[in-house]
Amino acid sequence: MAEVAYVKASRIFSGNPPVRAVDELSLDVSDGEFLVLVGPSGSGKSTALRMLAGLEDVDEGAIKIGGKDVTNVPPKGRDIAMVFQSYALYPHMTVAENMGFALKLRGVNKAEIKEKVAEAAKMLDLTKYLERKPKALSGGQRQRVAMGRAIVREPSVFLMDEPLSNLDAKLRVETRANIAALQQRLGTTTIYVTHDQVEAMTMGHRVAVLKDGLLQQCDTPRALYDKPANAFVAGFMGSPAMNLKTVPLTSEGAKLDGIVVPLERHAMDTASAEGLNEVTFGIRPESLALVGSQHHGMEMTVELVEELGADALVHGAVRIGASSERFVVRVDGRTPPTLGQTVKVAVRDATEIHLFHPESGFRLTN
Amino acid sequence: MRRFLDRHWYAYAMVLPVVVVIAVLVLYPLAQGIFFTFTNINEGNIANPVLDRAATYTGVGLTNYLNVLSGDPSFGSFWSTLIRTLIWTFGCVLCHYGFGLALAVLLNRQVKGRALYRVLLILPWAVPAFISAFAWKYMFNAQYGIINQFLRALGLPDPIWLGQSDWALVAVVIVNVWLGVPFMMVALLGGLQSIPGDLYEAAEMDGASPWQRFRHVTLPGLRSVSSTVVLLGIIWTFNMFAVIYLITGPNPNTRILVTYAFERFFSGASRDYAVASTYGVLILSVLLVFASVYRRALRKQGEVW
Repeated sequence: MAEVAYVKASRIFSGNPPVRAVDELSLDVSDGEFLVLVGPSGSGKSTALRMLAGLEDVDEGAIKIGGKDVTNVPPKGRDIAMVFQSYALYPHMTVAENMGFALKLRGVNKAEIKEKVAEAAKMLDLTKYLERKPKALSGGQRQRVAMGRAIVREPSVFLMDEPLSNLDAKLRVETRANIAALQQRLGTTTIYVTHDQVEAMTMGHRVAVLKDGLLQQCDTPRALYDKPANAFVAGFMGSPAMNLKTVPLTSEGAKLDGIVVPLERHAMDTASAEGLNEVTFGIRPESLALVGSQHHGMEMTVELVEELGADALVHGAVRIGASSERFVVRVDGRTPPTLGQTVKVAVRDATEIHLFHPESGFRLTN
Repeated sequence: MRRFLDRHWYAYAMVLPVVVVIAVLVLYPLAQGIFFTFTNINEGNIANPVLDRAATYTGVGLTNYLNVLSGDPSFGSFWSTLIRTLIWTFGCVLCHYGFGLALAVLLNRQVKGRALYRVLLILPWAVPAFISAFAWKYMFNAQYGIINQFLRALGLPDPIWLGQSDWALVAVVIVNVWLGVPFMMVALLGGLQSIPGDLYEAAEMDGASPWQRFRHVTLPGLRSVSSTVVLLGIIWTFNMFAVIYLITGPNPNTRILVTYAFERFFSGASRDYAVASTYGVLILSVLLVFASVYRRALRKQGEVW
């Protein structure tokens, strides 16, 4: 049990110019928290995790575990366990030996190792497989062994580096829930890296979004979804992605194909203070709705309909100024429009509009 | 049968040339060699078309085997030669493997000029064996060789390396180790590179020291490569004729089974083909027994091979 803190921690890879893979990351994770690091590939999320593990040097700043500065402590002295993306199970050892290896190295007596391994195996439903070698296991079972190896050690922090990315879709959903439940039960501080925003949303108590080594925002999944701090977070979180378009600004609001969407006061004030005549306009697919032809709305030509069962995603082109922009609208799955049809689309609720600075990407809306 | 041929004649036709070549090049000489061991064939009684002489050798049953296995010095002191062969083989292979592994581990990390080191270390392999053998023979020269000059400069004793003493065996072991290390190094380097890096990271997270990582990750990871190259090394070294013969010639202190078979076949008052063949069959038997025991031991460890 321990809290974890990154204090302006950087990792710089030599090169010309040097690459700041993680750039002055500051993050506090409280005891027992499940924090998810998410970002596209190359965002530095794995590097940040490996810095905490001690597998990667910290070039600037510091890392603390349980209030103690561990910046220059080797992995052995940090009391952490890690689950690797490839699981990294020792191929010549049985499941039981794999799980008990760390304890064996620590000189724990055999009876105690056996007991702890049996306990963890029971928790993960691996009791039947203890004498097998990893290559005789399925992907899901291997993943559980990797989890077991971490649990047996009873570390103060769990690190997980995309542990579900090698599982098939159905198993991934199942295991996702199991890991979250397990973490809840053990109450161990957990840092979890993923590129999958659905995993991030569903598992984390808080989610930290990274891009190009820079922390974009760290908040609860709900807050990230409802109030993304910038256009990148807005576009990254949520599936399908938020519609983000640069639109001209008038004194009444944002101008989209024929209609002017009124904007909230605060955003208008900020925009005029900045002297902007354009904004990045963001709206989630479910915040748009199809309306009858008598209503005000944007005209959209349907180009693609993805039926998901419960609902359908309608992709279509809307004219904004001189160009044609693609929008996605989530509609009722039972009555989707047909291809080529022209429909009218309106904003469901003006409070669901997100506005961002067109250059810096910062949020203008409250 | 007819239908079987009708259907598969093409496959058999394709395989036939290889079967013929193997039969002519391997099976026939092998059968003839085994046949010779039951005769008293030598230079004096073999068929000689030049002298227009017919073969006059006769079957002698197991006499050759009994003579050789009695360990009689006039038949090459089989048992003591076998022991020297085993010392030679295991001494060489142990050094090959040890030095090869050490160099492979050194070269498997990021060092400046790694490519250059690799080329330099593979060089012994690229030089024809007889050239390196002669180079070593000069270096081992008791009076003028660089090795003894060096030893004298350090004030150490300077043995007569290639004389009639066990120093000659030490000398040929040194040369053979020098020749054999590159192969082991290259094979083990390949093995090292096939061990996934995250296993080392996982072991580090589990709290393993560098030595424990070597013992619990590197060595098990190399097991299948090691078992193959060690077996090959043993077979090659057991039958390594060139190095010994080129450096020391027919010296009883460096005599191993295969060099004695050669001596018996090509030199001596009457070239004794029968005894040479008997040695050949015995060498083959020793290696076959060894290989099957080795394989069984590996299988017991769960190695699929």
